[in-house]
Amino acid sequence: MIPFLLRRLLGGLPTLFLVTLLVFALTHLLPGDPIRLLLGEEANPQLAAELRRQLGLDRPVLVQYLGWLGDLLQGDFGRSLKNNLPVGPVLLEKLPTTVQLSFLAMLVAVVIAIPAGVFAALRRGSWWDGGTTALALTGISLPNFFLGILLIYAFSIRLGWIPPSGYVEPWVDLRKNLLLLLLPAITLGTALAGALTRFVRNSLLEVLHQDYVRTARAKGLVERVVIFKHALRNAAIPVVTVMGLQLGGLLGGAVVTEQIFSIPGFGRLVVDAVLNRDFPVLQAVVLLAALAVFLVNVLVDLLYAAIDPRIRYT
Amino acid sequence: MRQWAIAALVLAGLAWGKTITVGLDADPPNLDPLLSTALVDRQVQNQIYDKLVDLDVNLKIVPMLATSWTVEQNATQYTFKLRQGVKFHDGTDFDAEAVKFNLERYLNDPASRRKGELAPVQEVRAVDRYTVQIKLKYPFAPFLAVLTDRAGMMVSPAAVRKLGKDFGNSPVGSGPFRFVERKVQDRIVLAKNEDYWLKGFPKVDELIYRPFPDDDVRMANLQSGAATVITPVAPKDLNTVKNNPNLTLYAFPSLGFQGIYLNVTRPPFNNKALRQAFAATLDREAVDRVVFLGTATPASGPFPPGTPAFDPGLAVPKRDLALAKKKLEEGGRPGGFSFTLLTAPGPVGAQLAQVYQAMAAEVGIQVKIEQIEFGTLLDKTDPAKRDFDAAILGWSGRPDPDGNIYDFLRCKGPNNRGGFCNPRIDELLERARSVRLAEARKDLYSQIMKVALDELPYIYVYYPQVTVGASKKLSGLSLIPDGILRFRGVGLE
Repeated sequence: MIPFLLRRLLGGLPTLFLVTLLVFALTHLLPGDPIRLLLGEEANPQLAAELRRQLGLDRPVLVQYLGWLGDLLQGDFGRSLKNNLPVGPVLLEKLPTTVQLSFLAMLVAVVIAIPAGVFAALRRGSWWDGGTTALALTGISLPNFFLGILLIYAFSIRLGWIPPSGYVEPWVDLRKNLLLLLLPAITLGTALAGALTRFVRNSLLEVLHQDYVRTARAKGLVERVVIFKHALRNAAIPVVTVMGLQLGGLLGGAVVTEQIFSIPGFGRLVVDAVLNRDFPVLQAVVLLAALAVFLVNVLVDLLYAAIDPRIRYT
Repeated sequence: MRQWAIAALVLAGLAWGKTITVGLDADPPNLDPLLSTALVDRQVQNQIYDKLVDLDVNLKIVPMLATSWTVEQNATQYTFKLRQGVKFHDGTDFDAEAVKFNLERYLNDPASRRKGELAPVQEVRAVDRYTVQIKLKYPFAPFLAVLTDRAGMMVSPAAVRKLGKDFGNSPVGSGPFRFVERKVQDRIVLAKNEDYWLKGFPKVDELIYRPFPDDDVRMANLQSGAATVITPVAPKDLNTVKNNPNLTLYAFPSLGFQGIYLNVTRPPFNNKALRQAFAATLDREAVDRVVFLGTATPASGPFPPGTPAFDPGLAVPKRDLALAKKKLEEGGRPGGFSFTLLTAPGPVGAQLAQVYQAMAAEVGIQVKIEQIEFGTLLDKTDPAKRDFDAAILGWSGRPDPDGNIYDFLRCKGPNNRGGFCNPRIDELLERARSVRLAEARKDLYSQIMKVALDELPYIYVYYPQVTVGASKKLSGLSLIPDGILRFRGVGLE
């Protein structure tokens, strides 16, 4: 187990190195000049030249990359071009927000998808199955921005139950924190639930045809035990894989949803960084997102072993 | 346990105090006036810092930290008498040395973004504890107006010495509100300055700024009461605010202009007759009605009505299709021509482009619309590149007329995107800067505009308005055309 983990983590290092290279190259390939955006209306060429020199953007790209990599190895993400804040602390400030939102969204997705998927699989071909499929498709196709605005309109403006947007740290006011994250979690969760429901259904259907399920039924086990103890656990592997992929995506920042609900997480940070060509922030967020996907994948591998006793890592 | 008790006390305290939540369309990036370039920064800076002088609703320059001033030596020497007994939020005194420190920081700090505005300054001298003398290299009429903005903001020298580069993250001024905390892209919290020099002000205890980049979300926060006041209000929401019994809509003229740059350095618009032909197809009244529901003002030039250089004698050009056809023939393209019009993303930019497209189509001018992201738009229209035919881009405006014209029509002006160049105009622009008499300056500007409106490197289409939506509980909001909401005198029921 431990050697496996070490090997996996070390094996990730070359990948992460490649990611730094790609991230740097891609951000610098974007058209548009950060200095021009920084100065906005005030387009004074002397000021622009001076600023460029001061921020080190006049150096050759390779030198800039090596400088960034060197700082990175020492744990320094640099300073934002736009607001001059050190990037590291800003990321640290956003991290709990994005992690909390991601897990809440995942929770919503699981709470919807598992019962819906199981039911659809058990009543295969019935109107219930068709109905969940249709709902799942709606969930997948409904754009986040639309559902988000719809929820705000219904629950904040019409009913006035929930503030339309914002964020309070859980350690300041847990109740308000959960209340404010409810709508965004539903917005994100329903979209994930759509895909997840389909996976639960299909994976379970496949398992239900297996011999051991027939055996379990033949020896007179209650249907509930057959489904939840024998079938569902075996059906879980592909479902967990998909959940891992989804979670990895969420940790990179829920760009649209965070924008709509004014949640100060990675998603908003990245939108702002792209629009302003704020290279240090953009690079840091993308790198962190890659790291999150990688770590979640390792976690998923470990979960496989927990779900399926036949899988052992040495 | 103790943390919870404190949190509960803080919340209880907030419930008792009066809090105004302001919804903006962007997160102010830099609170240090030295580094600030985004216009939205000024919304927050104006509460934290006092300036030497301020603007009133009629754009008159009024005392703030300077109580009076005299101008001598052929308008190259300004002597300011300073307000006594003013303290920065850190308890240090405001005096002539502080003014000298601030202006020299803006002039000399390598990171300063105020150098351009203060370029005419030669020397700052503290004459005595409450008298400051500023010598200019040459007469510069817009100087006082410059001091009503970031270059006139006075920060605490002690705090700058202590915090250095990080001053902007815990800014200290002498303004009506002091900085409490900031969470990037979430909120900026300010609290009442209990020792403010103007007794009885400010009237509320707390000010929270929150960024809502999405128009619908900003509006939803106002409607639900989560925001007390928002600016701007999207054109499509103006009527909703107006008709809501709990809200007040404030819409008043800004200092800026909006319109279309035409690239005079390459075809088709290197042909003056074709520029005039396209301009003649535009119906400014219709643009105002369709896109802004009547809340913008059709433009005749770079100076909005109510600003000192506005020329009432200059009529807003009417749509004239016969003239457009005549000009097309004169330009050698009787059947029309085609060009690409660049615009930034967003509903207003797209609508404007479509309206212009439809209007020009009636005489055979084909407009291809290209919506590109703001950064790329600035890039393509940059005077060093000029890789465009026409582009929709405006200006937020400055209180002194010079700020609306000098960098736009000068041959080497950084905002001269169209590439217009006329040495005689350059000369007049310089002269208008050095003349102090308002009437004489106005006359020079009228002469300049006579040429510019014939040559048309830029088509002035409309003057945008500052739009503010606020709860009816809010009182005492003064509507100053620079669009900055000053909360010193604002009360909450």
